[in-house]
Amino acid sequence: MEKIMKYIYITLLTGFLFTLSSCKKYLDVNTNPNAPQTVTANLYLSPMLHWMVTAPQYDGRFIGRYTQNWTSTTAGTTWDLQGYDPASDNGAELWRDVYWSLGQNLVDMNTKAEAEQRWDLLGVGQILKAWGWQSLTDVHGEIIVKEAIDPTKYLFNYDSQEYAYLEVQRLLTAAIANLARTDGAVDAAFLGKTDLIYKGDRAKWTKLAYAMLALNLNHYSNKASYKPDDVIAAVDKSFTSNADDALMAYPGVTGNDDRNFLGPTRGNMQTYRQTPFIVNLLNGTQFTGVVDPRMTRMLAPAPDGVYRGIVTAAGTGAFTASQLPNNFWNIASISAPAANTQGRYIFSDKCKLPVMTYAQLQFIKAEAAFKKGDKETALAAYKNGISAHIDFVNARNIEDNQSPTQITSAEKTAYMSATAIVPAAAADLTLTQIMCQKYIAQWGWGHLETWMDMRRYHYTDADPATGKQVYLGYVFPTTLYSDNAGKPAYRIRPRYNSEYVWNRDALSVIGGLATDYHTKQTWIVQP
Amino acid sequence: MKKKLLLFFIGTFLLLAHAIAQQITVTGRVTSEDGPIPGVSIRVKGSNVVAQTGAEGSYTIKALRNDVLVFSFVGYTTIERTVGANTTINVALKSDSKGLDEVVITALGNTVKKRELGTSQQTVSGAAIAETQRENFINALQGRVAGVEVTSSSGVPGASSSITIRGVSSISGSNQPLMIVDGLPIDNKTLNTSAFVSDASSNTAFSNRGVDFTNRSADINPEDIESLVVLKGPEAAALYGIDAANGAIVITTKRAKAGAGAVSYSNSFRVEATRTYPEIQKQYGLGGSGVPGSVSTLNNIYQYFGPAYPDGTQFYDNVKDFFQTGFTQKHNLSFEGGSDKVNYRISSAYTDQSGVVPNSDYQRINLTGASQGIVNNWLKTDLSMNYSYAVNDQPLKGSIGPLLGLLAWPQTDDASNYLTAAGTRKLLAFGSAGNAEIDNPYFNVNKNIINSKTSRIISNLGLTITPFRWVNIKTNIGMDSYTNQNLIVRHPESASAFSRGGTIDVANDITRNINLQNLINFNKQKLTKDISFDATLGNSLQNLKSNVDAGYGEGFLDPNFNSLNNVGTKLVRTSISQRRLVSFFGRATFDYKNYLFLTGTIRNDRTSTIPIDRYSFWYPSVQGSFVFTDVPAFKGLKNVFYYGKLRAAYANVGKDARPYAYVPTLENKTTSGGGYGYGFTGPNPGLKPEFAKSYEFGAELGFLNNRLGLDITVYRKETTDQIVNDIRSSYATGFILLNLNGGSTRNQGIELTLRGNPVKTNDFNWDVLANFESARGKVLSLPNALPESYVSDTWLYANVRNGNTPGNSTRSLTGLFYLRNNQGQLLINPTTGVPVRSTTFIEGGYDRQPDFTIGLSNTFTYKNMSLSFLLDIRKGGDVLNATQHFLTTIGLANNTVDRMTPRIIPGVLQDGRENTASPTPNNIAFVPYYQNTFYSTASEELFIEKDINWIRLRDVTFSYKLPQTMLKKQNFVKSASVFVTGTDLFLITNYTGLDPVVNGNTAAVGGSGASGIDYGNFPMPIGLNFGIKIGL
Repeated sequence: MEKIMKYIYITLLTGFLFTLSSCKKYLDVNTNPNAPQTVTANLYLSPMLHWMVTAPQYDGRFIGRYTQNWTSTTAGTTWDLQGYDPASDNGAELWRDVYWSLGQNLVDMNTKAEAEQRWDLLGVGQILKAWGWQSLTDVHGEIIVKEAIDPTKYLFNYDSQEYAYLEVQRLLTAAIANLARTDGAVDAAFLGKTDLIYKGDRAKWTKLAYAMLALNLNHYSNKASYKPDDVIAAVDKSFTSNADDALMAYPGVTGNDDRNFLGPTRGNMQTYRQTPFIVNLLNGTQFTGVVDPRMTRMLAPAPDGVYRGIVTAAGTGAFTASQLPNNFWNIASISAPAANTQGRYIFSDKCKLPVMTYAQLQFIKAEAAFKKGDKETALAAYKNGISAHIDFVNARNIEDNQSPTQITSAEKTAYMSATAIVPAAAADLTLTQIMCQKYIAQWGWGHLETWMDMRRYHYTDADPATGKQVYLGYVFPTTLYSDNAGKPAYRIRPRYNSEYVWNRDALSVIGGLATDYHTKQTWIVQP
Repeated sequence: MKKKLLLFFIGTFLLLAHAIAQQITVTGRVTSEDGPIPGVSIRVKGSNVVAQTGAEGSYTIKALRNDVLVFSFVGYTTIERTVGANTTINVALKSDSKGLDEVVITALGNTVKKRELGTSQQTVSGAAIAETQRENFINALQGRVAGVEVTSSSGVPGASSSITIRGVSSISGSNQPLMIVDGLPIDNKTLNTSAFVSDASSNTAFSNRGVDFTNRSADINPEDIESLVVLKGPEAAALYGIDAANGAIVITTKRAKAGAGAVSYSNSFRVEATRTYPEIQKQYGLGGSGVPGSVSTLNNIYQYFGPAYPDGTQFYDNVKDFFQTGFTQKHNLSFEGGSDKVNYRISSAYTDQSGVVPNSDYQRINLTGASQGIVNNWLKTDLSMNYSYAVNDQPLKGSIGPLLGLLAWPQTDDASNYLTAAGTRKLLAFGSAGNAEIDNPYFNVNKNIINSKTSRIISNLGLTITPFRWVNIKTNIGMDSYTNQNLIVRHPESASAFSRGGTIDVANDITRNINLQNLINFNKQKLTKDISFDATLGNSLQNLKSNVDAGYGEGFLDPNFNSLNNVGTKLVRTSISQRRLVSFFGRATFDYKNYLFLTGTIRNDRTSTIPIDRYSFWYPSVQGSFVFTDVPAFKGLKNVFYYGKLRAAYANVGKDARPYAYVPTLENKTTSGGGYGYGFTGPNPGLKPEFAKSYEFGAELGFLNNRLGLDITVYRKETTDQIVNDIRSSYATGFILLNLNGGSTRNQGIELTLRGNPVKTNDFNWDVLANFESARGKVLSLPNALPESYVSDTWLYANVRNGNTPGNSTRSLTGLFYLRNNQGQLLINPTTGVPVRSTTFIEGGYDRQPDFTIGLSNTFTYKNMSLSFLLDIRKGGDVLNATQHFLTTIGLANNTVDRMTPRIIPGVLQDGRENTASPTPNNIAFVPYYQNTFYSTASEELFIEKDINWIRLRDVTFSYKLPQTMLKKQNFVKSASVFVTGTDLFLITNYTGLDPVVNGNTAAVGGSGASGIDYGNFPMPIGLNFGIKIGL
């Protein structure tokens, strides 16, 4: 008997004392077992690359309505009227991705890459950082750069767009320098493991850095400080063919997030339809009877086989069922199609989407050369651009078993030989041609640059040489959104559930609380 | 030191062993006015020797001649007798269920006389809970305890119920009390949908809206509950620590009564019917703005803004036909018996419930065993094991649930004919696109699935060691372990998963909580002639761990085979959550002449969820009780009062964070190529515990020979440094959500309990108990001076959410509400004639907190018959009738039938003059029939119904005990009774929806949750139970 109680007592008492002494160790179970708190440097990369390509597509739904890439099937929606959705995060996916999807991840990756002397990964990180500021400032104007990514703060002051532009140039220059290094732990295999775009190829990343630099510098076109030679020099160090295009594939294996945002399974585009503006650029209306072979490969016909567009903000009312353009998956419905429906062009589940393309850069070069007065260079680049984009359309259309056929070389030659498209003499090349072909080449995916281009020409500026509108056939809706006071959109308001709710004080300093803030011209498009 | 202690104890035991030799055996019988009382506890004072009376009230106990025997039984005055030369001691106990000498259970399982308590607590008997025949005993508590509010998520079998005591104080964390069973905490989790893979993506997330799971307390068989005590404030719960900051519910389960073995069996059969059918208009058919509907003009959902139905249109009463009669059966069987040394109780129960919504059901099996043993003079054991197995099938809820589909379905179509000849989902419109058309309700309940199965074991081993008469040591070791398997299927043809080819979610939650508690109780000792003292020292250790393994699939190969093996795309997720707590605590009570009591407590909690340099914190409480009617100088008061007591208490209680709250982690991303990236929540290395300072004052008064009693409490609690989870900030932080200190809230209120015994004769007795509560919760500030904090899951309908803003109620709603001028008139857009809405979330003066609630229970007994009922009365509190708003936007609500009437919205034009002395009145008229945007864009604000009152007959029971004369002829059945119980029989309310007791989320959601947001929710059904009880 005594023995039992003795044991009980010993157990109890030692138990009691034991818990007293080793408490701290016992309680140290706060390492989250569900997820790591730090990972190998290259593991941060893939999600950020994904968003670099994909985030612009989210916002493209709205920007594409300003630029009349497409319009809503519902008449008079806010974005079609150059407005915005109050109290909504629509049009601010980039805001989320630059500050959160990249955000601290990019800081951590770059810090690790630098500490581990992975100069190639650091260069890629700097390109990502530059891309973020570039895209974000182009969409929103003033953004938070200096004070960004600091969870201990709760008021974040905005920086000027000029500062953001210079920061992009600084980052790209640094990236180019880092990508040139071969010392330290530079390792194409390590980078290539998670590099969804160039599989670790430093040379191609360097080209992308120059490409972004060219894009940045060309945006100064309205300013006295514009230097077309610098733009051309940067383009020449960037992509040399479609093989350099910065493309990312969507594998479509984990369900939703790794499928092309524009594809049928994601079902984001069912209420969008092409506009007469893009149709008329392709169907011979604007370019005297020359039907672009890309029209039937990029756009969607109506059930009767004719290619039409819905006038921006007009809705579907004017059409009979057989004349109403189909959606971009060539279906009449405004409902999402069943999963894995066959798509068209870039509107397909597994179709690659670009960050930048060779064609795009050639048009940048053409514009810069044209402005410089070097029309020979401009024409050559312009031709390269058209040819490269026709090849781009073909390349995309076979990636995911899409329905359109390939553009034959005969079709391509016929198109490129039409003088309405490619003038025989360099002197006959017009700004309208360059910008409209660039528009076509960027249609459907290159929203940020397209909108930047159109804002630089204030949507409806005329080419001083010809007196014709630079964007042939672009027409504003008759009445704009009620807050606009008749002015078109020049920026998207910063993300509502970030800035308008939680950072209002800083926003008010830059005038962001004004109801027509979205019509205020950004610094870069001003002279 | 250890060695010395050991010797010291061994020495003590030798002395005890010596004492045993001189014991004598005492026998006797314990009776009351009503006859012998079984189950009376007889204790040798100051020792661990205990006996119990058997069925005939007789007992046997061994004691010494100079021992004092203490006879105690809940509801009776405790009596003490010195053994002396007697070997037979018969005792008559006096009923004293309402006096101050009633023995009650309080924190840490201490039993004290009511007079000693300085805080407010209330007891509900297990019988009263079981009598309501609720499957989830939580639902039986509404109205029975002042200050307790129970909200069931819906009227579907197995729906989760949340419970709050004294209102909502935490902005984002749990406001539910700690559940204690037989001295140790048990898990009352409602599975959070964040464990499901679907919640990883906003495209597929449930966000605790579309589904519901049972709160785990419902695993307890109500028939096993002996008594339930509600410790209301942090003062009462200061000894239970962090998790009791919102109060505690202390449950004692049944133990056997010594004596001849007894068998009892009871059953209950219930039929259930839905209380009301939602009403929809039958005048106007499909279409928009007076134009008949066709596929292209309908915007993804049926709209009823078309022309009037032609005469002779055939209608189907889909709504009425959909509901079925629910049926429930319950069987309880228990055995008990034992001697004064060892006793046992084994009970088993089976519940099988099918609800009024087709394919909703809940089944539960309980097996409980409890045994107490007196091993020897100084060691007593108490072991209980409770096994339960529950299976629950619920329909989907809210926006994807069947109710909205049922209402929206065209009345010109027979909804029950929901499949095509090929056995696939029949679509009425919109061509082939299955996600464009709301689910047919029959399709929804037959093809979509929420199934959960839980098997659980709760074990509790208690050892009480009494080394000396003045001290005992009590150790409890408990394990609460369960496996909860869940399956959610959104059928490939359903609207909610059409574009994904169907989704399947499985989540297996393996939870294992281990609790250890040591108490050293020092029995009452006289310090001086007038002052005595007793105390408790203790420590506890908790290791709470849950591991949820979840799988997800989409793209069903065979549309009707529900398995992860049948899908194209698969994803997995593991969620492990572990929290450890180590605590030390002490309590000391000083007793001055048995009428003045002062108790102080101190507790130290060390938690794993706070950064290690701040993980340990201390907090005190102090409480006093003054029985002024027992002060000799105030003897004259006895003419007025039967008794009178004043009490006061103060506590400062700490609270920790949720696990892993301060370090951000990387998530495995499902975007192209995979990889890692941070989750939404950012870091907060400075996280510290929050504290609630709370005080309460009260009085307990008895009048008219205790036929009338009053208990009144006022309290005030202020939480500072409150940890607000998932609060937002600018994305420039690099994160979307943060867990920050810095919220503060204040709760105050008054509670009144009035009891009376208006009639008391030999045959007839009438007892009344009224519980009144009025509570207020106010947000004083938010972290970082942010303007609003909300729990995102509550943003479940349009633009209304449970937003908290400084200066307003903790249960307010924010939304994109109408703007008003300085006189409160609506601002009207001067060009369109419609009201102007705010573009930011604003506080609109809405408050879901009721002004007051009353629970009124009456019990009548006449000879062998008894009738009892509980009325639940509420005044005030707002409810968002989102279902009605939904019906209005699609032209189905009855309030849209006057659509041909031209109207001008009363208000003033927003023309710059709106805030002047003479604003321009609105004069823009329109006819909604031609302009259905009047309805389709109506503000949700118009459907927040203000000041909702109700009177609800929660339950009513009539029972009849068969008289002994009838049973005399046989020896088999010793007692028998029959009963009829009605649940939720009537509801009188000014609420226009189905049921104002709703929660748009589940009980898993923190803060004020979505209680009072009614969107596609099924109401509590009317139930009628019949059953018998037999004792063998």
